[in-house]
Amino acid sequence: MSRRNNVRGPTSALTEFLKESGITPTTIARRARTRQVEQPAQLEAGPSNAQQNGDQPESGPRGTNGNAEEYASDHLDETDEEQPAQKKRKMTKTAEAKEKAKAKANAKKKKGDDEDFEDSDEDEDAYTALSKMWKDNSKPPVGSFENCARCNKQFTVTKYTMAANPPPGFLCHLCAKASGADPFKKPAAPRKRKAATEKRNVVHFEERRFPSLASLCIKIISHYIDDVEALGDIGSINLDELAKSLARNRSLTPQNAPLFYNVENTNLTLYDVTHLTPPAFNTLAALNPNLTSLRLDFCGRIDDTVMDSWTTSLPHLKRIELLGPFLIRIAAWKKFFETHPNLEGFLITQSPRFDLECTKAMVDNCKNIKELRLNEIGKMDDAILNEIKQYGEQLTYLEIAYPGVPEALSDDVVVDLMSAVGASLKHLNLSNNVNLTDGFLFQGLKPHARQLSTLVLANLPELTDAGVAEFFDTWKAAVQDHPNRALVNLDLSRNHELSDKALISLLKHSKKSLTNLNINGWKTTSQEVLKERSMIGLSRNSWRNAIRSKKSRCGDVNGSVSNALASAASPLLVSRSMWLHKISSAFSLG
Amino acid sequence: MEEPQGEKSSQPQDDWVRFISSDGYSFLVKRKVALASPTLRGMLDVSSNFAEAAMNTCRLEERGIVVEKLLEYLAYKSTFESAPKKEDIPDFMERIAPEIALELLMAADYYDS
Repeated sequence: MSRRNNVRGPTSALTEFLKESGITPTTIARRARTRQVEQPAQLEAGPSNAQQNGDQPESGPRGTNGNAEEYASDHLDETDEEQPAQKKRKMTKTAEAKEKAKAKANAKKKKGDDEDFEDSDEDEDAYTALSKMWKDNSKPPVGSFENCARCNKQFTVTKYTMAANPPPGFLCHLCAKASGADPFKKPAAPRKRKAATEKRNVVHFEERRFPSLASLCIKIISHYIDDVEALGDIGSINLDELAKSLARNRSLTPQNAPLFYNVENTNLTLYDVTHLTPPAFNTLAALNPNLTSLRLDFCGRIDDTVMDSWTTSLPHLKRIELLGPFLIRIAAWKKFFETHPNLEGFLITQSPRFDLECTKAMVDNCKNIKELRLNEIGKMDDAILNEIKQYGEQLTYLEIAYPGVPEALSDDVVVDLMSAVGASLKHLNLSNNVNLTDGFLFQGLKPHARQLSTLVLANLPELTDAGVAEFFDTWKAAVQDHPNRALVNLDLSRNHELSDKALISLLKHSKKSLTNLNINGWKTTSQEVLKERSMIGLSRNSWRNAIRSKKSRCGDVNGSVSNALASAASPLLVSRSMWLHKISSAFSLG
Repeated sequence: MEEPQGEKSSQPQDDWVRFISSDGYSFLVKRKVALASPTLRGMLDVSSNFAEAAMNTCRLEERGIVVEKLLEYLAYKSTFESAPKKEDIPDFMERIAPEIALELLMAADYYDS
C-alpha cells in the first residue's frame, strides 16, 4: 500500500503506537539484517527473528501488531513503552506464538540454504519480500515459465505448482498429478482428538449394537446366580432347554454354569462349554460328584490338569462324551482309564493325540465298554481297530468316522472288526473311510450285522449303485436264524455313485421302519422311482411312526410330503435328495 | 388397548395382533411390533396358510407375565433399533424382574429376539 498522498484513514491503536514509536518496516528490516550478521550460528533464532522483523511491513496491521509488540516486549525494560505494551501483551503472546509457529515451520522447511533466499528477497524490497516469507521462496514467481523437472516441458508457474520430490526443480501440472500428489488438495486441517473417555464410550456403545432379549436375560441370571431363589422356581423349567439356550448364545460361563450343578445330578449335558476354564471344570466335577453320565460339547479347554482332577472327583462316571478334547495328552488319557474301570461309554470326537497306546490302556482297564466313538481321531489306524476287536460282542454303539487320514482304515481290517463285533451292534458309523468298498457291505455287514438299527455310511465314494442294491436285496436272507431288522436310521449321503437301484432296494428292505433317510448327494434318481409306491409307502408309514413316537406339527409335514410326491420331480439331483432329506428330517423332528 | 377394528382380508401393516398366553391373558400389539421377532413374523406371515395369520391371533405357550415382558421388549426393540446411536436409549435390563429371567430367556431364545 504505497502512500502517494498523505491521506490516512482511521487506524487502530496499535498502528498509532507504531507510528509514534517510529517503528517502520524499513527500520525493522535493517535491524533484522544486522542481527543476522551478529548471530549467523543461531539458525532457528536467526530466521525467526528475521522473519518476525521482516513480517512487520507485510501484513499491515496484523503483522505489525505482533512484531511491533514483540519488539516492544523485548525491550520492555529498556524502553518506556511499558504501559501501552502491557495492554497489548495478551495479543502479543498469541501473536508471538503464531509467529513462532510460522517461523519454525518456515525454518524447518528451509535450513541454511534458504537464508540466502531470504536475505536476497529482503534486499530487493523489504515490503514485498516479506509477503513471500510465508510462501515457498524457492518457487519462481507466479506466471513465469519453468521447465518441468520430469518431462522438461515448459509450463507456467501457478500457485498450485508443486516441487519435484527429489528436490531440484518443479513439476508441471501433469507430472505433479501423475506422481500422486494432488496440488489442489487443501492441507488436512488437524482435527481435535476426541477425549479418550468419550472415544471409549462411543466405541463401546457401537459394539453393543442392540441388546437382544436373550443376552439381557443371561446377564440378569449371571448377576443373580448366587441368590438362586431370586431366579424363581427353577424346577418347573426344563434345565436342558435352558442349557441349549445358553449354548446357542455361547453364554455359558463359569459364573452361570453352577445353575446346572447339583449334588444329586447323575446326568449332565452342556452344549457349549467354550468359556469354561480348567478351574471351572474342576468345580464342575466337585459340585456334581455323583455323575454317571457327562456330556460336554466344545470342551477345547479341558487339559491334563482337569483330567487329573477328574480321576478322583468323578468316581461313579460310566459314560463320558466329549466334543473337542484336543488338549488332553496320552498320559492323562491313560490315567483316566486306569481310574475308571467301570466305564461303559467312551465317546470322543476330535483328538489329534489319542493313539494306539491310549486305546490299549482303554482296552486293558475298561472291560465294560459298550459304546465307543472315536471320530475325527488324528492317529486312527488299523492297529487301533485290532485293539477294539477285543471288545467283541459287547459293543452296541460304534463310530469310527472321519479319521484323521481318510485312507487310514483298510477294507480288510474293518471287515475283520465287524466279524468280531458286528453281532451286537445297534449303531454303526464308518463315514469317510474312503477305502471301504462294496466288499465291506457283503463281507462285513451282511453276515455279521444282526441288530443294526442305525447305519451311517456317508462319504464312501467306493460304494456302487449295484453293490448297495444287491446288499439290501440279499441282506435279510443272509442270516437265516436272526435276520437283521429293518433299519430305522440310514445315512448314505455323499455317495455319488448311488442312484435308483440302491434307493429301490433299500426302501424295499426298510420301508416299514425307516424314519430317517439321508440320500443327500446321490446321483440323479428318476421321477418314477420317487413316485413309486414304495416311496409313498415309506412316507406314510414313517409318518405314522412319527406320530406314534412323538408329537409334531404333522400338518405341515403332510403338506410337504404330498407336494413332493405329487409335483413333477425335477431331474436335478440336489433338489430331489434334499426334498427327501427334508422330509426325513422333518420326520425326525416329529 | 382398544379392540381391534374389523380386519379385512387385506391386512395393512398398521393393524393390531392378539397374543394369548397359556394362562389365558390376551395382549394386543401393533403388527409392526410383533414382526420384530422372526419367529412371530413367520407365524403371522400372510403368505402362509397358518390359522394364526388369518385370524391375526397367536396362542403362545408361555405364562402371561412372560408374554407381557416379551412383547414389551419387542416394542422397545421396534422403537429404538433404528434410532441414531447417539440417542439416549433407555436400559431394558432394569425392567426385567429376575424371577422371570429364566423363563424369559427360554422364550427369547425360541422367539429369536
